[in-house]
Amino acid sequence: MVRAVCLTLAAIAACIAFFLTVDLYLKEQFAQFGDAMETLCEKTENELANEGDADAVRMMWADKKRRLQAFIPHNDIAYVDYRLNEAFSYISTRNFPLALANLEIVKKMAGTMPDNYRLRLENIL
Amino acid sequence: MALIFVRTAIIFFTLLIVMRLMGKSQIGEMQPFEFVITLLIAELACIPMADTTIPLLYGVVSIVAMFILHQSMWLLDMWFKPMKAIVCGRPSLVITKSGIDEYQLKKNNLDVSDLIESMRAAGYFNLDDVYYGLYEANGSFSALAREQKTDSLAVTLIDGGKLNAHNMSVCGIARETLDSFLREQNAKLKNVLVMTVDGSGRVYFQKRGQPYKILRMAVNEKW
Repeated sequence: MVRAVCLTLAAIAACIAFFLTVDLYLKEQFAQFGDAMETLCEKTENELANEGDADAVRMMWADKKRRLQAFIPHNDIAYVDYRLNEAFSYISTRNFPLALANLEIVKKMAGTMPDNYRLRLENIL
Repeated sequence: MALIFVRTAIIFFTLLIVMRLMGKSQIGEMQPFEFVITLLIAELACIPMADTTIPLLYGVVSIVAMFILHQSMWLLDMWFKPMKAIVCGRPSLVITKSGIDEYQLKKNNLDVSDLIESMRAAGYFNLDDVYYGLYEANGSFSALAREQKTDSLAVTLIDGGKLNAHNMSVCGIARETLDSFLREQNAKLKNVLVMTVDGSGRVYFQKRGQPYKILRMAVNEKW
């Protein structure tokens, strides 16, 4: 009986700790990614972005993606991939307005995605 | 992740309430919360396994949520006895010395034919082979048997006010014979809760809201 109580309480505590860690982790990862997107957006808006900038963001995303795949649905990651690749191809052809449109979408997603997995009433329902 | 946990808990409690409302007919040898867990675990384990777009961790978190909910329910059962009745239900006494308790049957979403089937599965082939019959909280049927069981198979002629024409032809009982039998008992068909007859012509007859009677009627002893 005591063992069962301890086990249950330990499991609850471990879950709460895990949930908080994951929540903070996702928030931090997407904040970092959002900052990188912000910078790239500014450069694209000023028509200063080049393939080097795009590659830097691509590598950063590739690194984050590898770890995020454990915590968020892979479809969401694939959608970010799709938009980013489109933006990078526009940057390489110096089509800045279209690149900016895609980058703005990704930036917005980076801001809203962590909220999609947070414990909120609208997500529960 | 907390989101997955809460969503799992909501589904768990919804299923549990639905199972409790469905009564004992849907459970079958398991406590309602065990049944709910069995239903959910299989799906929770399967979905992330088959769908590669869902992180495996989602399945793991859901299963851990089920474990915690199971343990919590079990501990609540241990500490707070009324909780057991709320979560698992109480045994329902469906056969008493007066006969079948229709209210208890309806409360558990069962009818007379379900009861007769349960009795047969438990080895009782006649309704008055038992003093008491009850459905346990887990849906299994238990009975206090009479010392002497009847040695002939009882066939249901009337079940919940409905005539079983097939069984009547099996027994070789004509509609007129039955009608005159009902007239003798001053009963209308719709007011008869149950009427069974065995091969020796022994009739178990119970009107709604009244104790049962053992009567006799002529049968061709074909079975």
